[in-house]
Amino acid sequence: MSIEVKKLCFSYFEDRRDVLENLTAEFDAGEITILTGASGCGKSTLLYLCAGIYPHAAGFLRSGSITVEGREPSKLPPQERCLLTGMMFQNPELQFCMDTVERELIFCLENICTAPEEIPRRVDEALEFCDIGALKKRSLLSLSGGERQKVMLACLAAIKPRWLLLDEPFANIDNASAREIARKLKQMHEERGTGILAVDHRLDNWLDIVDRVRIMEKGVLREESLKPAELEPGLLEELGIIVPCGSYSPSLSVCKSGETVLELRGLSLRHGENDVLKNLNASFRRGEICAVVGSSGCGKSSLFGALMGIYRYTGQALLEGRDIRRLKRTELGRIGFVTQNPQDQFVSDTVRREIEVGLRRSENAQEKSEEILRDIKLWRYRDISPYLLSQGQQRRLGVAALMAYNCSVLVCDEPTYAQDRNNTIAVMDALCRQARERGVALIFSTHDIRLAEDYADRILELRGGTLHALR
Amino acid sequence: MRSVNPAMKFLSLLAVTLILAYEYDLLLNLTVFAASVLLMLISKVRLRTLLLLMLPIILAAAGMFFTGYRFSAEGNMPVNAEIMNIGSSALLNGLTQASRVLAYAGIGFLFALTTDRIMLISSFRRQLHLPQVFAYGLLAAWGVFPHMVQEYKRTRAAFRARGLRVFPVSPALLKPLLVKSVRWSEELAVAMESKGFSGQAQRTELDPVRVRAGDIAFLLLSVGIPAALAFLI
Repeated sequence: MSIEVKKLCFSYFEDRRDVLENLTAEFDAGEITILTGASGCGKSTLLYLCAGIYPHAAGFLRSGSITVEGREPSKLPPQERCLLTGMMFQNPELQFCMDTVERELIFCLENICTAPEEIPRRVDEALEFCDIGALKKRSLLSLSGGERQKVMLACLAAIKPRWLLLDEPFANIDNASAREIARKLKQMHEERGTGILAVDHRLDNWLDIVDRVRIMEKGVLREESLKPAELEPGLLEELGIIVPCGSYSPSLSVCKSGETVLELRGLSLRHGENDVLKNLNASFRRGEICAVVGSSGCGKSSLFGALMGIYRYTGQALLEGRDIRRLKRTELGRIGFVTQNPQDQFVSDTVRREIEVGLRRSENAQEKSEEILRDIKLWRYRDISPYLLSQGQQRRLGVAALMAYNCSVLVCDEPTYAQDRNNTIAVMDALCRQARERGVALIFSTHDIRLAEDYADRILELRGGTLHALR
Repeated sequence: MRSVNPAMKFLSLLAVTLILAYEYDLLLNLTVFAASVLLMLISKVRLRTLLLLMLPIILAAAGMFFTGYRFSAEGNMPVNAEIMNIGSSALLNGLTQASRVLAYAGIGFLFALTTDRIMLISSFRRQLHLPQVFAYGLLAAWGVFPHMVQEYKRTRAAFRARGLRVFPVSPALLKPLLVKSVRWSEELAVAMESKGFSGQAQRTELDPVRVRAGDIAFLLLSVGIPAALAFLI
């Protein structure tokens, strides 16, 4: 009852080096195992191979084999494969085919040829198991990230695979939802004997349920098989893994906040029938770093979307006393936006051009762009498309591109989303340094309370449509 | 109307549009339009939704009326003050043109507002033998559409935030969307496969969409009444 990986060599491109090098491992169904490591170390690749998605969907398996309970998942048709390995993905928005929760569950059961008379009972059982019976008739589009992940878990509970493979399932949701899902996973493991192998570079939400932690480094699985109590913060830090309850040790200068630069007066926003923001008031000062926290779906992204001009709102958002909806085109760069997905920010064909857009009114744009790109170690990639960079590189470019503007306010929607410890620190240090040195008001949202505590001068919680000061 | 088999409804309404295409008659057009509105109201389509949707259609119909009125075969061209005096053939021509717009819009709205998309695809798959992989691919793409709209707004906002002016369908705006849609389609396909979906494999169906006697009757009436009207008029 295990997943066995033998001398595995895998690469995404025929002419590039292997992402996984001669990897051998065994994961026991009797234990919940977390596979952790820095971004790009190959942990998700290994998971996709175990699920039988690769090499069918991407890449080249040069040598070696993977068996799950003695069967090779990549050689099974999807109908049989899903009974062996069920997969839960990072992005809860792109996992569904139907429009409502009930129909999605029916779709799953129809795929595995469940007898029609059995389907309603199994749908209800799965919903009950995940405590989401109330969501049965709800549209999937109306659900929050946490609720969607619970629906995904209900799909897996209905299919009942022998193994659950989870690819950073908590990356997009708040800690309370993550712990609730973790509890359900433990229940599935204990009651049904489902084997669980998860990949994550944040361990805090797993610690209560996990039996073993395995660490990957540059395509190789390290020998240690650790119990949660045996985790050494020093080793995790060294490997770029976020240390549970550990500090990020930021090196920030003292806050010398200046005058108010952004003021929100009576901001209200509705999505359909839901009041997302209700008469929200807040002000932000120059040089101040402010964190916005709150549960999934509380309206953080909506608040930032309103400031970006994506959503209509009532009330006022004043930048240096002027309504941001009335700013001239040439003044629009005064509020910089760092989006959750760095790809949402790109406006140019090449890395260099991406920086030069912000410097187009400057006399020595070419020299300055070279200086910035060398500083963020992307000079060698200057002529390629920003979309071809790795996720960490894209994030660095996105932040640097905004630094070319003379921003007064920088609004960052989960800037460290899906980043490992080293990238998290690099991104936050760069943002905070700019805030302090250039007197920019930095507002960022996060689900990581420790990150907020370490970096922010002020922490605001978005609850019930308004902001409440936590610190 | 909501309980009519979607594939049969599609064929019935398609037949009506073909009859309309070959006929040029005010009464027929108005009858089809009135029947469509009546059926929508019986099917509990919200009047407010219908009126909002009809607004651009009424504008288009007004445009067609003036086109038909001023450029009818009996009208004097080029346009002069005299032809603004309402003559019977010019007026009839304008009204017929306008009523065609209303009739086609009525049929379109009747189909769109009274058909469940999941049932529609399921029915197309069962009754019109639409391939499984195409049918469920369409459903998944439909689910992604609201994200596409959101992404479009987000990309536009990113350009605006960088002080760049872009037109609504500028290639600079569409390129990031294209890149993302390819990535999304791959992720979605992987997610569907991991839930056991396969384009070729057999699957069971909880509630298969069937053709009943009422659906056949609807088809016969939908084709028969306009055809009879066209013949009699």
